[in-house]
Amino acid sequence: MSTMNYRDAVGNALQDSMREDARLLVIGQNLAAHALKPLADAYGLDRVRDSAISESAMVGMAVGAAMKGMKAVVMIAYADIASVCHMAIVQSAAKLHYLTNGRLRCPIIIRLPIARFRGHGPEGNEVGASWFYNVPDLNIAMPGSASEAYWTFRDALSRPTPTLFFEDRSIHLRSGAVAQTNPGGKAQVTRSGDKLTIIAAGRAAALAEDAADELAAQGQSDAIEVVSLGFIKPLDGDTVLKAASKTGRVLIVQDEPEWAGYAPYVRCLLDRLPAGKLALAPRLLVGADQYLPYWDERPFVPSLESVVAAAKDLLKQ
Amino acid sequence: MSDAMDLTNNQNAHRIEWRLYREMLTTRVFEEALVRWEHEGKHSAQTFPSKGQEAIAIGVCLALENGDDVLPSFRTRGAMIGMGIGLEEQLREFLHTPSAAGDSRDAPHHASWPERGVMPGSTMIGGHLAMAAGVALANQCDRANNVSVAFFGDGTLGSGDLHETMHIAGAWNLPLILVCENNGWEMATPWPKVRKQRSLIPYATPFGLATRQVDGNDALDVYHAARWARATALTGQPVFLDCLTFRVGLYSSHFGEVRSGIENDLAEAAKRDPIKRLGEWLIDNGLATAAALEQLQRDEEQRVEAAFNFVRGEG
Repeated sequence: MSTMNYRDAVGNALQDSMREDARLLVIGQNLAAHALKPLADAYGLDRVRDSAISESAMVGMAVGAAMKGMKAVVMIAYADIASVCHMAIVQSAAKLHYLTNGRLRCPIIIRLPIARFRGHGPEGNEVGASWFYNVPDLNIAMPGSASEAYWTFRDALSRPTPTLFFEDRSIHLRSGAVAQTNPGGKAQVTRSGDKLTIIAAGRAAALAEDAADELAAQGQSDAIEVVSLGFIKPLDGDTVLKAASKTGRVLIVQDEPEWAGYAPYVRCLLDRLPAGKLALAPRLLVGADQYLPYWDERPFVPSLESVVAAAKDLLKQ
Repeated sequence: MSDAMDLTNNQNAHRIEWRLYREMLTTRVFEEALVRWEHEGKHSAQTFPSKGQEAIAIGVCLALENGDDVLPSFRTRGAMIGMGIGLEEQLREFLHTPSAAGDSRDAPHHASWPERGVMPGSTMIGGHLAMAAGVALANQCDRANNVSVAFFGDGTLGSGDLHETMHIAGAWNLPLILVCENNGWEMATPWPKVRKQRSLIPYATPFGLATRQVDGNDALDVYHAARWARATALTGQPVFLDCLTFRVGLYSSHFGEVRSGIENDLAEAAKRDPIKRLGEWLIDNGLATAAALEQLQRDEEQRVEAAFNFVRGEG
């Protein structure tokens, strides 16, 4: 098990995948001369493709390459641009396996870096995972740690259907140990506790871990159980229900507003627990239902302070 | 089976002119039957009739080689026939019989047989062009000596994906052939209402594609253009074939659009009908008799009905 930061974990996952599979392509912009120069030098310009700024066709071409048995990683500059290639993702990529009765696979990754807290303004600071939540056969990865970043990426390329890979740049430098084996889409219990379960993904999962550590520092050690989902669709309901049952108190943290996404889904999932299993109604801590202004995005999304405050409130009840 | 269809007795059957003729005829008879069966309540799939345009799909597909792939448009039933997909196999998708290869999940006009070179064009208009470019990209990476072909109507000019695909395919030298079934109509809207030029070649050239204007009602012109296109694409220059034609039938069997003022176009299209023209060529060149072609037409009608009854018996 080695320790690395989240950004390097994604990079290593791509590099290892390129090394192991000679029929894996990367398509994006500014790759060969800049972002992926070492990969371009190692594997050639056939496999590291600098494309025009044509995200719809980039995804469509990845699907076409998959029709011939290749795999592909499409590098979208930031997550908001998923709106540009929505048609190709939903119509061309997600439906391929189903529409061909499984005769064609579509093991492609569409990398969608979340770029908030960088002053990009409302056209450049969205998450957008919930835009795609009701698309069948579309995997959605939202890693919250280096290990999840590595393994959700590797796992995605073994799947017969495409994966949206929402990596969060705000946690790129967060370091952690990378597990030696692929958890295969299982959620991870990253903090163990017996009083409150926090369920989250991506940056929100990192916040939950930090909140658990903060509360421990304040004397509430072993209070908080954190479930980091890794894949938010499909998601590992067994681990969620087990962790929720363990503590009887649940806080779900999500960067996006509450209308859609894993937060309301997990909230519904908890209804499957037998009556009385939870001591309190599950609580959602989510992003505000508004765009995030250039001048300051932080007041409108969950923060360490707001997660700690919500956790303390639930622990009191 | 008549002599005309009996490949062992017809010494000319292997000739490309005969194959083009037969497969265009199959396409027309099959599509007409599909519409009739739908109206009789025997299936519910809409048909986008290619009547008058059959030479394009058949001419292109018969010019391809093993390992080449096509992505049909919703109006390119002939591409399935031209790639050798049997009528029974196609009908299984309409009727959802147990052995339908695609389990009738996709609409029958998007049915696919990937292992036999018919890839699904299943997406929004224009999106399948990028998918075809992706197939070409795989062929290029694999150093395969194969091309991919996408069929589409001229209305696809409005799709951003057409321009994106041409842009990237040109830059990357992909072995891609874009075949425009340029019939001049976007459903009930004639082309001058929605664009400045009838030909799409002026839009393709700046992206670095090799282009050729083709008489889309002349199967031999299409075939030879497609042979040239295939050779050109394999040298690393994608190709745009602008096949001028006219859609004689309705946009779809589910729409009853009115195109007022097309009487002259219909009369002209009847004179230029691709099946009629090639039939006359076969007769003029001593390769067929009028009686043999009439017999072939009857045989095809019977074969198509027999295929339907056979498949219905499976379900």
